Amino acid sequence: MTGNWVANGLSQDLPAHGVMPGQWQGTDLAIWRAGSGRVSAWKDRCPHRGMRLSHGFVRGETLACIYHGWVYGTDGTCRHIPAHPAMQPPASIRAESFQVREQDGLIWVGPATAANAPPAVEGMVAVRSITVLATHEEVAAAAPELTATAPECLRGAVVAGPAAVDLCLVLQPKAGATVVHALAGAGADLVAASRWLETLRRTVESGVAA
Amino acid sequence: MILHDYVLSASCYKVRLLAALLGVRLELVAVDFHPGRAHKSVVFRALNPAGSLPVLVDGDLVLTESTAMLVYLAQMAGPDWLGATDATSAARVQHWLAFSARLNGSLGLARLHDMLHFAADIDSARAAGHQCLREIEAHLSEARFAGRIFLEGDRPTIADIACFPNIALAPDGGVELNDYPSLRLWQRAIRSLPRFIEMPGIHRLHELAPAPERGTTA
Amino acid sequence: MISPQVLNEWYPVGMIAQVGPWPGRLTGLLGAPVVIFTTGQGAIVVQSARGVPLAVTLAYGHVWACPGTPAHALFALPEATQPGRRLVDCGVVRVKCSPLRAVENFLDIAHFPFVHTDILGAEPHTEVNRYEVQIREEVDEVWATKVHFYQPQAAKSAAGGIVTDYMYRVAAPTAAVLYKTCPNRTDEWDVIGIFVQPLTEELCDVYPYMALFDDVTPLAELIHFQQMIFLQDRSILENQIPRLLPLDPGMEIPTQADLTSVAYRRWLKRRGLTYGAQRVAA
Repeated sequence: MTGNWVANGLSQDLPAHGVMPGQWQGTDLAIWRAGSGRVSAWKDRCPHRGMRLSHGFVRGETLACIYHGWVYGTDGTCRHIPAHPAMQPPASIRAESFQVREQDGLIWVGPATAANAPPAVEGMVAVRSITVLATHEEVAAAAPELTATAPECLRGAVVAGPAAVDLCLVLQPKAGATVVHALAGAGADLVAASRWLETLRRTVESGVAA
Repeated sequence: MILHDYVLSASCYKVRLLAALLGVRLELVAVDFHPGRAHKSVVFRALNPAGSLPVLVDGDLVLTESTAMLVYLAQMAGPDWLGATDATSAARVQHWLAFSARLNGSLGLARLHDMLHFAADIDSARAAGHQCLREIEAHLSEARFAGRIFLEGDRPTIADIACFPNIALAPDGGVELNDYPSLRLWQRAIRSLPRFIEMPGIHRLHELAPAPERGTTA
Repeated sequence: MISPQVLNEWYPVGMIAQVGPWPGRLTGLLGAPVVIFTTGQGAIVVQSARGVPLAVTLAYGHVWACPGTPAHALFALPEATQPGRRLVDCGVVRVKCSPLRAVENFLDIAHFPFVHTDILGAEPHTEVNRYEVQIREEVDEVWATKVHFYQPQAAKSAAGGIVTDYMYRVAAPTAAVLYKTCPNRTDEWDVIGIFVQPLTEELCDVYPYMALFDDVTPLAELIHFQQMIFLQDRSILENQIPRLLPLDPGMEIPTQADLTSVAYRRWLKRRGLTYGAQRVAA
């Protein structure tokens, strides 16, 4: 693994004031983008009553839990408890934070201790994320025209529709599945690339089923 | 216009939602679907022999299919919502209206099974639901390449309203939506529409309202 | 192994109105299958898979069963026989959560503005003022009193926003009742309960129940209103981590608004009613 960074989605799929679920090595995450554009990733659990924070809502630079509206700042500390509007919440109430790096159109999540950088995927545009019910190895085996440029990155030219497309697949392991975050060379036919991914998934999953 | 309604029905919600978006006032008649099974009663079947909900009554017109109700409301109060500007778009909207029946038979059935004890082959209902979700996710992904967010054209149509309820409520039936990023953004766009209304299982997007003033007691 | 304390309590297993003759209805209780049916004489029987009958009480529209030896009679709810009240069975809703989390959520008011928006609460009226909580030893129940909360539409019959007064009561390990301001009668409380059937530690059937002073609202509308409220809670209950209710005080962070929850958890722990709870050493 490259410093335990795990790709958790494409930047284009998390707009400002958005929150989405994620996963890091089996731990469920709430990943959210503040109004300023900053992305945070936390354990998907409000310390108050255990509600998933990925169901919450973003106002400005804060994420609030949908259950009781507890408000957390980008550093994970609780800023406000609506049931007690005049009270300053104790600093000990905080969501458990992960590190986030947003680069090359991808959102990477790592542990607080992760040191080195996630692998670079420069000069490409995002296609889409697609979940395949198969392992990393099975996905890789179904796309022999791609080669591994990093443990979680497959890259190469594929024939998608009428033309060749330069593709990079960044693989995210999940329980029972692999999420493929796909990027393509600039100017690529994105519809053709998306349909190539659909075919890849059908190929892999029919092979797995047989 | 009278809508015979059940508060937890995804199909009834389709009609309530479009009426709200269009600003059409519906007179709601609550039907005791659960636990009373009033929609199967002799009295109710005189109105709708199929014994299903919703039923829309406007004068002499009695409609018993929710997608037909969407067409009726849109034609009357907001023809832009029909989305049918040419042969292609008219056909595509029809595709999604028919597709919404597949959603109801898969995701909708799984929900009624998990929530209200309906008999179902739950594994196959969920699998069929995921298949539907993959199809619509692929379509929306392609729409986004062209800078669009709704199912057809540049604006919301009855196609979106027909498909939205059973998709948004899929987790009620044990079908998680985590693996469908384009569907997440599409749902958000629908939920952000002016005059959008919720139903149980689809909570308010509180981010659309400003945070209340702090430091004062209510 | 389920403890005698758990086995000797009463649990709802169905609505009286929906029990039919053999083969009746197959359901579950504390992880074991049970079947409910009416005999030729009209009696209602609840029995285990091996044909052993369970102790049964019929009350408040529901069938209650005790899989062990009843430690006491089913809790009293005098309002259920008070003249003038409408008794409303609101059906059954299955929820993938601990039965104890379902009860705890029912005791909670601070979530109203965010989960029951514009009905039972709305921003900026989010403050929960201090209220009183006690364990009434003579009946062995948890009670919260002097609870007040601003509500935009407190009941189907409410015309607009009012400050609603509440009392909450944990009447059995998986049954709770609330008493709230009655929009139609200043001298009476409306009574709403949830009776929770523990199918397993992480799966339950929830029966909402109402005893109201409201002669006007059609029955179906009353049922819809209560189902709407409970189904707004369902997506919360299915997304709390862990599924089991933590009794270890370090696991979750209560505030003053959560005093009822704190008392409920303490009461469960003290009485050994840990089915559906995370049994972590404190």
